[in-house]
Amino acid sequence: MPDEEKGVPGPQSDTAGAEHHPEIDWIAAERSPEFRELIRKRRGFVLPATIFFLVWYFGFIILAGYAEDFMGESIYEGFTVGYLLALTQFIMVWGLGWLYLRRADRAFDPLARKAAETAVEAGRKGRAEAEGPGRFEHPADAGTGRKEVRPS
Amino acid sequence: MTIPIAADLNETALAIFAIVVGITLVITYLASKRMTGAVQFYAAGRAITGPQNGFAVAGDYMSAASFLGIAGLIFLFGFDGFLYSVGFLVAFLTVLFLLSERMRNSGKFTIADVLSFRMNERPARAAAALGTLSVAGFYLIAQMVGAGVLIEALVGIDFNLAVILTGAFMLIYVVFGGMLATTWVQIIKAILLMSATIVLTLFVLAEVGWNPVDLFNEAKAKSPEGDAYLKPGLFLASPIDTVSLGIGLVLGTAGLPHILMRFFTVPDAKAARSSVMWAVALIGAFYVMTTALGFGARAVLGEAGVEAAGTGGNLAAPLLAEELGGGAGTFGGDLFLAVIAAVAFATILAVVAGLVLSASAAMSHDVWSNIVRHGRDSEREEVTVARIAALSIGAVAIFIAVLGGAGLNVSFMVGLAFAVAASANFPALLLSLTWRRFNTTGAVTGVIVGTLSSILLVIISPTVWPGPDSEGGAFGFYDLANPGIVSVPLGFLGCWLGTVLSKEERRAERSFDELYVRSETGLGAEAGTGIGLTGRPAGRTPASAM
Repeated sequence: MPDEEKGVPGPQSDTAGAEHHPEIDWIAAERSPEFRELIRKRRGFVLPATIFFLVWYFGFIILAGYAEDFMGESIYEGFTVGYLLALTQFIMVWGLGWLYLRRADRAFDPLARKAAETAVEAGRKGRAEAEGPGRFEHPADAGTGRKEVRPS
Repeated sequence: MTIPIAADLNETALAIFAIVVGITLVITYLASKRMTGAVQFYAAGRAITGPQNGFAVAGDYMSAASFLGIAGLIFLFGFDGFLYSVGFLVAFLTVLFLLSERMRNSGKFTIADVLSFRMNERPARAAAALGTLSVAGFYLIAQMVGAGVLIEALVGIDFNLAVILTGAFMLIYVVFGGMLATTWVQIIKAILLMSATIVLTLFVLAEVGWNPVDLFNEAKAKSPEGDAYLKPGLFLASPIDTVSLGIGLVLGTAGLPHILMRFFTVPDAKAARSSVMWAVALIGAFYVMTTALGFGARAVLGEAGVEAAGTGGNLAAPLLAEELGGGAGTFGGDLFLAVIAAVAFATILAVVAGLVLSASAAMSHDVWSNIVRHGRDSEREEVTVARIAALSIGAVAIFIAVLGGAGLNVSFMVGLAFAVAASANFPALLLSLTWRRFNTTGAVTGVIVGTLSSILLVIISPTVWPGPDSEGGAFGFYDLANPGIVSVPLGFLGCWLGTVLSKEERRAERSFDELYVRSETGLGAEAGTGIGLTGRPAGRTPASAM
């Protein structure tokens, strides 16, 4: 079936190592407590951080647009409010970026690994139960098939 | 358009440039020996490390427009020029938080891979290809014309020859060396650009007695605008236009195909995010230094330099270098000018190579392989088509640039590229990764509405209609130079309306759940398989090895 031969990650690329995981029940994986925990933790950082940087940046831009005189006021011998606020944008980008990297390395990556392991493990079990161990050992359709074992 | 400051051929610049080109050609040769297939061609075998990719992203991103253009804007208009620097940098938080890792986890070579993952593949891919080709096309033409103008002024080569040379080297890198050669060209360019900028900044600081605050005051003293020079409003007079520009910059970067494509070249999501951080460190340091160049040019050259700096003040930084090196005609002055000219040429080459590669990937991987051939072509065929596509796209860009000539109004084209990226590519990508209900109709409508509204709004903007930089624009009520504040909401609206007005479609091939789990965890992500320039194989990571 041509429809099953296209796409990402496509079987056409024989050197790339994308695994198709036809055995995984993606709906169950998405609902697994491990995955929910990952989403909750990551969202707990990314959402406030995104809101913060957008507010800080657009606050700056709106000031630049509408409060020209305030931005031009000198803080120290000609060093202006506007330039200082612009520099805080640089510090914000480096700071938030660094915080995100640290969080991702320490918290998100281990959670992602756990969620992935759970999904693969559940998929193996589900497939073994549904089709018997012999079928599992010779997954003839593993390359192109996208059949999912779904709870009906 | 510009006043040539090197009316005669600048041999020193040519010699320095020949060395840089020589090195990149050796790299291209090495890369071509390692060309094994599609993964190597489009993604350098996913063997680029995080720090390397960070330099390459920086090299891909910092165009001549940011190097010469922003320094020129600051030189001419003071504070307003710096607003561009801030926007260009903050944009990377959008990339880091929302896209870089998810793209790496769920995509293969192009934006379309991610956008069409769970959709009706052919229309979704076609829409993504439209977005990619528009952005890359506008950006490429602007860069080619800019290359011709700058090189003519700096090196003394004729405009047409400069365009053809730029195009020829760009195509050699892409066609023979693919992503690996392009990556190393971008890394070398980033190193050259950073070094040159650091040296110039140190010279400027020495000029003002190592007191940065004095730099502002000396610049202000040399500007006829006085206090207003350090305030916003000299360049961006309309507040709402300033906000609109900000929206376009901060969301547009997250929709630039040549930047997003770079995240497919690293082995895993961890390397993708670390590369953003490296890029942010480099780009941030660079943009802080643009103020030293811009204000420094004002303090050193003064109002007398305005005419010589040409349109948009593009030649302010090279003139500053010449002056700091000892002035025109001295050995140091000529050498500094030559170095800056060569760096500007390398800067343009690295950007156009990345653009052509991303456009050719959209043509071959999306349009040819998946839409025309239904994925039944061989990998060899796909790479051949990619090379032909690169040659054709490059030829068209060279042709348009030569035909249009130095007078072609390209000042709006980079802005237009960012507008389409922010209004078409970014909404569709973000929603496909986060909104369960989002569907093919929504993606197609969103991309079309985002692209068309950006183009239309730019056409009726004062920068284009009825003539370059006219007053008022085509319609009295609409006079924004930057369409972002209108076109980005329109793009999102298109995505939303298309989705809710269409029937909930039967899931095409794969579900949102699959994309969601894959993009967040890296489960089953494409592994690094390629060989680096040094022959070191890419490591597999725990997540991708599962």
